[in-house]
Amino acid sequence: MNFFRLKTEEFDFKLFACALLLSLIGVLLIYSAKHASTPNEKGLFLKQLFWLSFSLIAASIIFLIPLRLHEILSYLYYLSAVLLLLAVLFIGATRLGATRWFELKGLTFQPSEWAKIATVFALSRYLAYSRRSYRSILWIGTVAVIGIIPLLLVLKQPDLGTSLVFLALIFSMLYWAKVPLLFILLICSPIISLVAGFHWISWGIFFLFIIYILYLLRPGFFFSAWVLILNLGFGILTPLIWNRLHDYQKLRVLVFLDPNRDPLGAGYQIIQSKVAIGSGGIFGKGFLHGSQTKLAFLPMQHTDFIFSVAGEEFGLIGSLIFLAIFFYLVFRGFSIAAKSRNSFSSYVAFGLTSILAFQGMVNLGMAMGLLPVTGVPFPLTSYGGSSLLISWVSIAILLAIHYRWTEY
Amino acid sequence: MTSYNRDSLTFYLVGAIALILIFRLVYLQVISFSYYRQISDENRIRLVSVPAPRGLILDRNGKRMVTNRTSYALSLVPSQTQDMKSIARKISTILNLDLNYVEEKIKTGWVNKYTPIKLMKDLDFKTICILEEQNEELPGVRWQVEKVRSYPAPYWSGHLFGYVGEVSQKEMDDSREKGLTLGSNIGKDGLEKQYDEVLRGEDGMNYLEVSAAGKFLGPLKDKKSLPFTVGSDLVLSVDSDLQVEAESALSKFNAGAVVALDPQTGEVLTLVSKPGFDPNQFSSFLDENTWQSLVNDPSHPLLNRVIQGGYPPGSTYKLLTAGAALESGIVDRNSTFYPCHGGYLFGNRVFRCWLPKGHGSLNLIQAIAQSCDVYFYQLSLKLGLDRWSRYAVLCHLNEKYKIDLPDEIAGMIPSREYYERKFGKGEWIKNLVINLGIGQGEVLTTPLGLAVFYSALVNGGTIYQPHLLKEIRSVEGRSTPKPKTALFQLPFSSSTLEILKEGLVEAVNSPSGTGGLARIPEIQVGGKTGTAQNPHGKEHAWFVGFAPAENPKIVVAVLVEQAGHGGTYAAPVARRIIERYLKGNSTESNAAEETKVQTD
Repeated sequence: MNFFRLKTEEFDFKLFACALLLSLIGVLLIYSAKHASTPNEKGLFLKQLFWLSFSLIAASIIFLIPLRLHEILSYLYYLSAVLLLLAVLFIGATRLGATRWFELKGLTFQPSEWAKIATVFALSRYLAYSRRSYRSILWIGTVAVIGIIPLLLVLKQPDLGTSLVFLALIFSMLYWAKVPLLFILLICSPIISLVAGFHWISWGIFFLFIIYILYLLRPGFFFSAWVLILNLGFGILTPLIWNRLHDYQKLRVLVFLDPNRDPLGAGYQIIQSKVAIGSGGIFGKGFLHGSQTKLAFLPMQHTDFIFSVAGEEFGLIGSLIFLAIFFYLVFRGFSIAAKSRNSFSSYVAFGLTSILAFQGMVNLGMAMGLLPVTGVPFPLTSYGGSSLLISWVSIAILLAIHYRWTEY
Repeated sequence: MTSYNRDSLTFYLVGAIALILIFRLVYLQVISFSYYRQISDENRIRLVSVPAPRGLILDRNGKRMVTNRTSYALSLVPSQTQDMKSIARKISTILNLDLNYVEEKIKTGWVNKYTPIKLMKDLDFKTICILEEQNEELPGVRWQVEKVRSYPAPYWSGHLFGYVGEVSQKEMDDSREKGLTLGSNIGKDGLEKQYDEVLRGEDGMNYLEVSAAGKFLGPLKDKKSLPFTVGSDLVLSVDSDLQVEAESALSKFNAGAVVALDPQTGEVLTLVSKPGFDPNQFSSFLDENTWQSLVNDPSHPLLNRVIQGGYPPGSTYKLLTAGAALESGIVDRNSTFYPCHGGYLFGNRVFRCWLPKGHGSLNLIQAIAQSCDVYFYQLSLKLGLDRWSRYAVLCHLNEKYKIDLPDEIAGMIPSREYYERKFGKGEWIKNLVINLGIGQGEVLTTPLGLAVFYSALVNGGTIYQPHLLKEIRSVEGRSTPKPKTALFQLPFSSSTLEILKEGLVEAVNSPSGTGGLARIPEIQVGGKTGTAQNPHGKEHAWFVGFAPAENPKIVVAVLVEQAGHGGTYAAPVARRIIERYLKGNSTESNAAEETKVQTD
């Protein structure tokens, strides 16, 4: 193939345009969010612009790399990501009680961002080549272990939002591997048991339901045994552990489940975000005229709550356009996954798009007060160099898969 | 089941989520528009934290030791002030403060224009009246009532309770999950720090609507205020009367430490370190000078000598040497050595006994009772350095006992390896045991360590974790008692322990014993004196006592810095504590007796 002559008919301009638009809107919103701030923060949009240019250059280089190379290096990528995640726990910089960043001369990098992509590659590689059936414990176990190692390392930092991304990734890959939906439910069942275990009735009902599904699917003795043991274990352990926790420890769990209990943090942000979006109305207050935004009621309006700025200043119309661009991008990503002739590329495309989609949707749900605050940035739009760079790397790989989708 | 087309299913799923989000947007921006627009246009939501009262600290009899009292704090709301500089100047003149201090406070406390900056804490009512009179000229200056900690005034308060202060940025970074916000108070030292999470409770929160001008309009409609949760109370094993007794017993000395334990449980009955500091001065913003003078004071008032002071144990460690020798089968209770004539010639050096005229020939019991150095020089040489340090380690004399106070230090037990690292190899090193055997040289202990060791000697050999907490009492009245925890076991058999105890009882009760000043009518007291050489001045005086001898209820370790003989200075202090604890009152020992008794 020819690297140097771009075959325009196969370059996905639509996907590229959506990603570029979201990034540029992000720069505008960051400018608006911070233009009334201290001189120090005023320039954040310039920093973001710099990161955008850097990301675009990186994306063009990644675009040129043959997919075959990624495929060969998949497990190496994964290994490097796990090592970086381990390293950051020991030598990373600590801010607000979380150790997530490498710091070098004022530049910071968050290895968990790279781990997302690396895990997609590793899972795709395994899923594309494994000949085992989804009913094999070994198959399920391998997929779970690949996903759970980075998940736990990220959770240790602690970064709940990003570890949820890994959880979502595991399940979307299983989904794309054509594992039956009820079977996926069985795999999630220990997690549901953990939550249902707070009350014995809810847990009992769920447990009977699991037995019924096992009866329907008959997935084999070992698998069934594992599902039952794990469900029983979690169902019994949860109340036991819960009752042994101190009051303040219980409160921490409850605050996570119900952020309104944490009035200074999450609950407050959600109210302010809803006020910002709601007060925007149909037409919005106009660029740079968002009073909620300007008065800095929202502490993280340039990162996690960037959408509230859009909602306040551009109203329903602006928000719908924003949603349209985002969901169109997600659809493009999924259709690349569907169209790809190559199993590995298809998994990669689906995994990367799932991550973008999950982060975007969770972030929107959070800004609109539908989900608890977990600290997931909006891909491509939120302020943050590592997140922007990795989002663009994902886009570049999607573009590359589309560009060469007939190949190999 | 598997025949679903995953391509189209994916699109439907994503489409469904998109629809939910669009409906939500319409709900927020069209249906609830006027409500949210009103909040955002006319009002601002403000969060006001309502600090939870900290739990109280009670003594073992339920007497309140640490409480909360009302005080006045002064703050400044930047958005209501036009001219920051002139306000700062006015405040500094009225309150008689350094202008730099006020400006610094404004700079460091700035969150945003609407959040009050706290300038002063714990102002008196008179100052508040003066400010109130001038409030026309002081726009944005407000005062509010808040609770501050109130500690009993004596000097030991600081070491026991520590103090409370505003959380620093570093502490917030270190403990994100604890629900701390800027302005929260946390325990900074002592019990306040150790049990901070128990005492602190959870701050409440009021959601208020505030006009654009910063005027409070009232609580927010769709958001209920969160009530605070009062912190739990601590019930200590400490007896506050005993604290006062210990303080008064130490009053004639410049520096010292007293710690008393219940040997059967490890409960700390009293803990006093002198000099100390008054934690009440931390209730207001402590000014730099006061803090510096506390830190730089050559007598180290911030040092809790009971758990952080390392001293040579002196003759109190003769019990370790005797115990190790008994266990090794070198001596029995009747063994005698070359009689004491006031010194012992070893090599070309004379090691002196504290009693220049000499003790003559003694058995082990008498040697402990009269603390004869010459007897123990010979015993130590027979025991040898390696065995001595092995037994010291087996007695866990170089460990921390995990008392529930921050920054406890461990004792120091030198070993052959230690000396070889320090001085290089040499045959002569083994002779250093001569000094170690009588508790001199590189060996160090804390008063707490000594009390723990003696508790185990008299309770049958169990080392309990020393603790100040008796129980935690929550607001709902639920109480969580602190269980007694056995940490280790002494490597001594019960016959060894019996012999040692006999020696300790003799030391106080036999006419020639060194601890005669600890005698109490009707109560049999046992104990050991110690006089630790101090290169910087007069010797440190030690006494560790226990009573009643047959079934000890209290062990008390007393250290008096740079006083002289332990039997003269430390033993009477211990006697007062024991008498107060067992009889409920104490008497000054009569001076006539003091002169008669011989001391070490």
